[in-house]
Amino acid sequence: MTPWLRRQRALADYTLSALGRRKGKNISLVVIYALIVFLVASIMMFSSGMRREADLVLSEAPELIVQQLTLGRHELIAGGEVEKLAAIRGVTAAKGRLWGYYYDRLNGANYTVMVPDDPTIKLEQGQAILGEAIPRSRGLSWEGAPLFLSRFEGDLVKFDVVDTLSHDSALVSADLMLITEQDFRDFFGLAPDVYTDISVSIRNEREIATIIAKAEKVMPKARFVTRADISRTYQKLFDWREGLLVTLAIAAILAFGIFAAEKASGLSAEETREIGILKAIGWDTGDVIAMKLWEGALVSVGAFLTGAVAAYVHVFLGGAGLFAPVLKGWSVLYPDFALTPQIDVLQLTTLFLVTVLPYVAATLVPIWRVATGDPDQVMR
Amino acid sequence: MITLSAVTKLYNEGRPNQMAALDGIDLTVPGDAVTVLTGPSGSGKTTLLSLIGCMARPTSGRVHLNGDMVSGLPESFLTGLRRTTFGFVFQRFNLVRGLSVIENVRLPAVPLGPDHVELTERAMARLEHLGLADKADIPVEYLSGGETQRAAIARALINDAPILIADEPTANLDTVLVNRFLDIVADLRAEGRTVIMTSHDPRIFTASLVDNVVRMVDGRLDTEEAPA
Repeated sequence: MTPWLRRQRALADYTLSALGRRKGKNISLVVIYALIVFLVASIMMFSSGMRREADLVLSEAPELIVQQLTLGRHELIAGGEVEKLAAIRGVTAAKGRLWGYYYDRLNGANYTVMVPDDPTIKLEQGQAILGEAIPRSRGLSWEGAPLFLSRFEGDLVKFDVVDTLSHDSALVSADLMLITEQDFRDFFGLAPDVYTDISVSIRNEREIATIIAKAEKVMPKARFVTRADISRTYQKLFDWREGLLVTLAIAAILAFGIFAAEKASGLSAEETREIGILKAIGWDTGDVIAMKLWEGALVSVGAFLTGAVAAYVHVFLGGAGLFAPVLKGWSVLYPDFALTPQIDVLQLTTLFLVTVLPYVAATLVPIWRVATGDPDQVMR
Repeated sequence: MITLSAVTKLYNEGRPNQMAALDGIDLTVPGDAVTVLTGPSGSGKTTLLSLIGCMARPTSGRVHLNGDMVSGLPESFLTGLRRTTFGFVFQRFNLVRGLSVIENVRLPAVPLGPDHVELTERAMARLEHLGLADKADIPVEYLSGGETQRAAIARALINDAPILIADEPTANLDTVLVNRFLDIVADLRAEGRTVIMTSHDPRIFTASLVDNVVRMVDGRLDTEEAPA
């Protein structure tokens, strides 16, 4: 071991013993510190996990959605438009989609009712596939329990639940209900040749702008929503929600800042005296500062690691129980799924820099002031 | 040998409450001897001791250590001298509360980055020699007055300093403990160390092992002959 390393080890050793003397005070400091890091790290990990999840799900969505607008509002689209879009060069396929919302008065939730366009999903009349949140919120706990929906007083429509959607896509499918086209048209009283909108598959994603330009000529009153647009909307939604929580976290950080500044600005008489003793027995200013740097580092890095690991466990293993209601899902139906564990190094580094460095720096100034004084003060 | 020439020390210099703690001190403290600075409270004993021990610099005048001028050296050099040449026993011993005896004894050596095992062995040997080995792991606040004093001496000697500086080391100690302290000083002398201390305790400055007594009054050397 080099002399430098031995010196650092000796200083760290002393610092640990010194910290042990004020156990209560130091433990409470680390706990508060770790809680703040835990809070902010949880929000950051959770939000970035959600964004990744949304991108993952959207990667299977069609490249382009075409919606008819009337008076600036989304309107049903005529079936004939599908052929027009399919005829544009570069378009692989165009399909009319049927989807709508159903408000369930029993649990106050909105379901997204949809006709699946995936040919592998086999449904027969009277059958439904549900997003994982619907049976949960309706208490359909046993296998094969039918779902009864009522559109108005005295009305009751029965669906046999044949499957539940996987948790992997729960972010956007938690409130989804898939039924056959005929059931959909009957349930909502829809004419046979209209669709909610049209999904368009495009061979080459770089041609989207060109294809939209051509499609606009065919359907001048339509709105064209690309997959990138949807992804952006999700990102903004999560950004907004993250911002909301970060604002709360900032209040906590500020409170901690005041606490740390208070600790940092005034060294206790005992600490001042201790520094005087150390200087008198042969420590120089650099030794005292190095020792206090160790103290700051042990407290703040210890708290940072504790907070960050706790946040990781909370978000990726514990389902982010604390923030889930704010950060994911819509009003009543919350998706239940586990985020893929992943660490954003840049985010963690930023968090490290904004929590550890100011604390260490704030504690150094008063130490430096005391440590540069004459050691003979302890003689008097 | 430590030589002081025309040494003056002012506190609160230039302010209305300026005070001259030392005024024109010319003194030679011999090496390889026991020197006691004595005099009433406020006579400047402790200030003189802190200048000798390189803890402070004089306002004017010079301090030489073995022929080298040390009074003009920057703080880092003075720290080096405090670390290697002097061992300090303070009036109230100034052990760091909350730490164990052995942790206190190791303290002066920490910045030197010594081998931990070797340092602990050295500290234990010192404590053993001073009859404190069995108290090594207890916090210093549980020690008695005499034990605290011996722990402070062990700390002062951990870097094997050739000069021990002690400020009123026997204040508030009974005769048995004073005699025990004098035995320790005799041991240190036998090891070839120089001992410089302040004391207004007659049991100390009249002790037979003391080679040199420096009397002080009002920041000056008292050159009048003491009554027989």
